[in-house]
Amino acid sequence: MKHTPAIDQALAELQELSAAVHREVSAVLPDIVPHGEADTLDWLAACRALFSFERDAGLAFIRGSREAEQVSEEVRPWTGQALAFMQWRASWRALEGFMANVARAYGTLGHAGEKRWAEIGFSWCSRQIESGAAYFSTPVIDLAGRQGGITAIEQLLSPTEELYDSRKLMLGSYLGGAIRVRNLLGAQAILPWASRGADILQTGRTRGEAYFRLESEESLSMLLEHLPGYRLTDRNRLLGMLLDVWFGGEFDLRESTWSPEKGRPFIETDGRTIYFPAVMADREEAILALLHTAGHMRGRTFDRVAMEEMFAEAKLDFPKSGAVSWAPLFLRYGDDALRFQLIFDICEDLRVDAVVQRSVPNYLRRLARAAHALGVRHAETAPYFDLALASIESAFNGKADPRFARLFEAGSTIADAWRAAVKIYEGNEGKALPPVTDLEAFHMAYLPGRSPNAMRLAHPQETDDDSSQQQQPGAEEQGQQGDEGGEETEAPKNAESGEQGEDGEKQEVPSYGDSSGQAARSSGQSDQEGPNHGSSDKGIPYPEWDYRESRYKRNWSWVQEKRLAESNMTETNRLMKQYALALKRLKKAIQSQKPTRAAPLTQQLDGDDMDLNAVVAYVAEKRAGRSPRPAIYKRREIRQREVAVTLLADMSTSIMQHLPEGGGRLVDRIRAGVLLFAESMEEVGDAYSIAGFCSKYRDNVSYYTLKGFDETMSDDIRAQIGGMSGRLATRMGAAIRHATASFDGIESRRRLLLLLSDGRPEDYDDGGDRRYLHEDTRMAVKEAVAKGVHPFCVTVDTMANQYLPQIFGPGHYLVLDHINSLPNKLPEIYLRLRR
Amino acid sequence: MKTAAARQRGVEHDIVQSPQVGDVSPYYEPQGNEVAIFEAAYKRRLPIMLKGPTGCGKTRFLEYMAFQLKRPLVTVSCHEDLTSSDLVGRFLLEGADTVWQDGPLTRAVKAGAICYLDEIVEARTDSTVVIHSLTDHRRKLSIEKKGQEIDAHEDFMLVISYNPGYQTVLKDLKPSTKQRFIAINFDFPSEEVERKVLVSEVPGTKPEVAQQLVAIGRKARLLKDHGLEESTSTRALVYAASMIAAGLDPVSACQVAMVNPITDDAELADALMEIVNAHFA
Repeated sequence: MKHTPAIDQALAELQELSAAVHREVSAVLPDIVPHGEADTLDWLAACRALFSFERDAGLAFIRGSREAEQVSEEVRPWTGQALAFMQWRASWRALEGFMANVARAYGTLGHAGEKRWAEIGFSWCSRQIESGAAYFSTPVIDLAGRQGGITAIEQLLSPTEELYDSRKLMLGSYLGGAIRVRNLLGAQAILPWASRGADILQTGRTRGEAYFRLESEESLSMLLEHLPGYRLTDRNRLLGMLLDVWFGGEFDLRESTWSPEKGRPFIETDGRTIYFPAVMADREEAILALLHTAGHMRGRTFDRVAMEEMFAEAKLDFPKSGAVSWAPLFLRYGDDALRFQLIFDICEDLRVDAVVQRSVPNYLRRLARAAHALGVRHAETAPYFDLALASIESAFNGKADPRFARLFEAGSTIADAWRAAVKIYEGNEGKALPPVTDLEAFHMAYLPGRSPNAMRLAHPQETDDDSSQQQQPGAEEQGQQGDEGGEETEAPKNAESGEQGEDGEKQEVPSYGDSSGQAARSSGQSDQEGPNHGSSDKGIPYPEWDYRESRYKRNWSWVQEKRLAESNMTETNRLMKQYALALKRLKKAIQSQKPTRAAPLTQQLDGDDMDLNAVVAYVAEKRAGRSPRPAIYKRREIRQREVAVTLLADMSTSIMQHLPEGGGRLVDRIRAGVLLFAESMEEVGDAYSIAGFCSKYRDNVSYYTLKGFDETMSDDIRAQIGGMSGRLATRMGAAIRHATASFDGIESRRRLLLLLSDGRPEDYDDGGDRRYLHEDTRMAVKEAVAKGVHPFCVTVDTMANQYLPQIFGPGHYLVLDHINSLPNKLPEIYLRLRR
Repeated sequence: MKTAAARQRGVEHDIVQSPQVGDVSPYYEPQGNEVAIFEAAYKRRLPIMLKGPTGCGKTRFLEYMAFQLKRPLVTVSCHEDLTSSDLVGRFLLEGADTVWQDGPLTRAVKAGAICYLDEIVEARTDSTVVIHSLTDHRRKLSIEKKGQEIDAHEDFMLVISYNPGYQTVLKDLKPSTKQRFIAINFDFPSEEVERKVLVSEVPGTKPEVAQQLVAIGRKARLLKDHGLEESTSTRALVYAASMIAAGLDPVSACQVAMVNPITDDAELADALMEIVNAHFA
């Protein structure tokens, strides 16, 4: 190819610089030359400059040029942009990313969009070159999303400048997570997600970055909480009730470890437990899925005898004990395993759905309706979907299908489903079904509510001998299996991708293509570790109110109920002696207050008996020509004074401080106060409990029950009171919620929660935002009132007037000016309150 | 063709009313041998306790039996403020004089009626004690305030109803009260009977609708342990059938008659509606 002298000159200089560069440039040059000599010379100069600036940068520029030219049909603009990278040190990674994506930027964003895309990147390069590199290395299509243009990119990055300036959050930590959040939840979710993350970042660098990378539990739970669709997590009770109604009895229901990137959410079972995902597409699908899965358990999918028969048909050994892997059943089909698995599931699910239909009226019709409503089908597996749908509709549209006839019979088992599946697989129709390789396509082949049956290891159920349902199908059918027999495929592929690794069985975990993520993530991680179980080592979860978003964060704070390890009888005895007089006075006061017998109310307009005095007076007045009020009855009124009270003491570090006026520490007064309270309560006779709390982070709220409602006062409890001490922080809302919950089952007309505190609610992870826990505590108080528990706060913090009115409401707190008066005052306050 | 109640509609009348010639018997579908038990107890004038959940037909059964036995029926619905004076009677002032007025129980004792104390546990304990002397061999009502005693009319009979489980443990009849009665256990009728009840109670109910309503009722009752204080009663099914007969669509009818009244719990209502929807899908 002939070039102008100027170009030849430039090429010669490049040749001198490096033979490799010359080679690369010569390959691209023919595409550049048509843009004119000036542009070409500029481009050559840029190659030279960038190569001299940084070897890798230059090579990346040259290699990316051809595609950039092809898409943009120009040279000068992006050449100029590339040269801009020379103003930053160590920018070759950013340039490499830029050149890799510039063509796509032109393609998806247009010329104006590309310009803006580059500008945004440059501003990041100026801030911090790694962030710039992270930005340019992210594929444009990911940045912009499926439909988004440059505005989507701007939106995606809108919170980042602020985050970088105030919290030094680098783009590399942010982008991946933000893109996923947007893809899953939509663009409007980015900002709240990021601002939440900013708060978390403030409490700790690693924790915050893990949040942004969506690696921490809190970010995942945040994601799950915002996913659109029908939320099953909050409907555990509803699911349980439905199962009880339609199938009777208890089912073990648990939330699975499903998360959005695992693909379509399914309800699954292993024969013992039903696992449901946090969210499903809609209510109908969720309910169908629940019924279907329960159908597996009640329809004997996991029946040991039937499973053994199926394994025998497949000429496989059935494990004597323990959980059973489905994998060997499908492994024999090698690369075709997914295809066979789909056919098998169509048969088995049909059989199970027929079982469900017998319990739940109109189930099959609903299933068919939901399937039709779904509309979209994955192109690759639509024939499977349609076959499944047709098999269901054959039940009620009169076109009985002989292939499925046996499966509708009451006595059919999973072995029948197996035989039907093998028959279809080997028949012409089965051969016509397309091969399946893609996991997403595989998932989409299932009707709403159905799920891959081999997701989890199966726990066989023992047969009840009395069941007449169990029919032993004839063994002669076995003959017709022209299978590829015991030939075991070498490749360690299997169709199983669910939670493995139970009972120490490490099965062949790797699975098809892109499903590896799923298998890897879930293996070795049992569902018990999931965040949403009622009570475990993690304690009992309570929601927490986030005023910034005006909503509850589900299962946010975790309360662990504990017993106080320390006890100190010596201290108790000392206190008892010190306050002996005070106690005596208190008891006397209580006794004098005690109601004796219910006195009848006299002179009532209505009542059980005549009030003789009133009658005489009435008659006398009447005779005297007056018209007196006929209030001549008397009535016994039983005053009900059933009160239950919990004294909840703040046991944070601050109570260990020494009193400014001397004479010991605050905790001494608190111990004395609690002790006198307890002794007075014994005299009063109301139901009462005593507890203390402290916290460290949201997931570690300790709740110490010193005395439960049902316990009687003992020296052990007195000693525990003597051993009270302060530790950690004050997450008051969670403690109030737990105390409120512990009133459950206490029969009393009035319930009082007496909170003894020395300061405002705060915790290590509130990010310095005092208002957050204030607002949460305020909500916890509101919740308590709604549940019929009346919180009242007694505090020794003289500054408490500033915040307690907002939290507890005016009149629902008391500030003690003299800490020394606390022991005497505490019982008095209660006695006043209960009146 | 009138029932005793229809004859007196919209008119003040005395609480003691005997069935008259030409009255139509109230509709009742026997669930078991309760009619025979009642008749036998009546022969010996033994007091009867009807136990069973709300809306399963206790009151209707009694109306039916009173009609069959041709006795007037005096019903007292007990409540927590009901005292012995409300049952036995009290002195009232009339002008300058005090006059005694008989309570419904005294009236029934004098007239030989069947006295029905509905939901007796709701009443105060002092009022349950006044019936003791009426329920044993003495068959006497003592009117303490007047210093008198009345020997019951020979046809007088006492019936109480009692709904175990509905009340809390705090409210229960004293064993000494309970054991004075012949007790008949009621439960919701069998499916077949319940269908019959629906079709007969609500003219125009199609058998298949009755069948669906009864099936819904069965399933709904399974939710009792999940926080329902009262399970779906036969009465609720009758109401639902009535609403359907009056032209309302079945799902709404079930919602207003069988779901909304018995629970404020959104999740429970959701589960109940799921049952309804499944049947009418």
